[in-house]
Amino acid sequence: MIPSDYLSVALLIAGAIFFLAGTLGLLRFPDVYTRLHALTKADNVGLGLIVMGLVVQAESWAAVGKLLLIWVLVLLAGASVAHLVARGALQRGIRLWKR
Amino acid sequence: MTLTRAKISWRTIVSRMGLFSLIWWVLTNGAGSSWWIGVPAVLLAVAVSIALVPPAPWVWSELLRFVPFFLLRSLIGGVDVAWRAFHPGVPIAPDLCIYPMRLPPGLPQVFMVNTVSLLPGTLSVGLDQSVLKVHVLDSRKDFLAELEAVEQSVARIFGASLEVSEGRE
Repeated sequence: MIPSDYLSVALLIAGAIFFLAGTLGLLRFPDVYTRLHALTKADNVGLGLIVMGLVVQAESWAAVGKLLLIWVLVLLAGASVAHLVARGALQRGIRLWKR
Repeated sequence: MTLTRAKISWRTIVSRMGLFSLIWWVLTNGAGSSWWIGVPAVLLAVAVSIALVPPAPWVWSELLRFVPFFLLRSLIGGVDVAWRAFHPGVPIAPDLCIYPMRLPPGLPQVFMVNTVSLLPGTLSVGLDQSVLKVHVLDSRKDFLAELEAVEQSVARIFGASLEVSEGRE
């Protein structure tokens, strides 16, 4: 393995840990709003790290661009969908969990 | 409508053509022959984008300054929520907060709504006449300062001044 492979491995594993955290939050958090927090933020960072890990291995600038484009689009879609789901839940009168 | 039309400048058209051409180049791995389809597609995309998203007076330098701020804050947001998900006691204290935005309606507000959802501990759950409803994961934290910082940055990106609203504390 060359040094850039080690960097890739570290970034990919870190990314996977964030995806695990997002899923764990989805299961452990008490209501729809808190679960959305876990999904949007942890998965966004997880995907960012995985994209970085793959950018290190990319063979062309076009491939780098494609990976970054994927991340930006998922970021936009994730933020908008989280907002829409949360808004829908609030409009249906789903109460939020409080400690 | 005529007002919006008048604001469309060559600068907007050229910069959007540049952006869409770049995306096309990325998608096709720079294959030369693909431009037979690429050029019409780019021109069409420019036309559609101008119809759907009227040109906004971006301040590019501010947008570039926003990128590292956003990346750092969203990384912190991810670490923060991951820590809470892994913690045995699930340390959260959620609450709903009302934030009257001072940004002008339209793209600046939409930009802020989406940004808020990706920053540490905040999720936008509603926007009604400039009043943003934010769900906060931990109401013990100083989320108000965070929201204000985001609003200031977004205002700078769009070159907007924040109106002083009354009855705001």
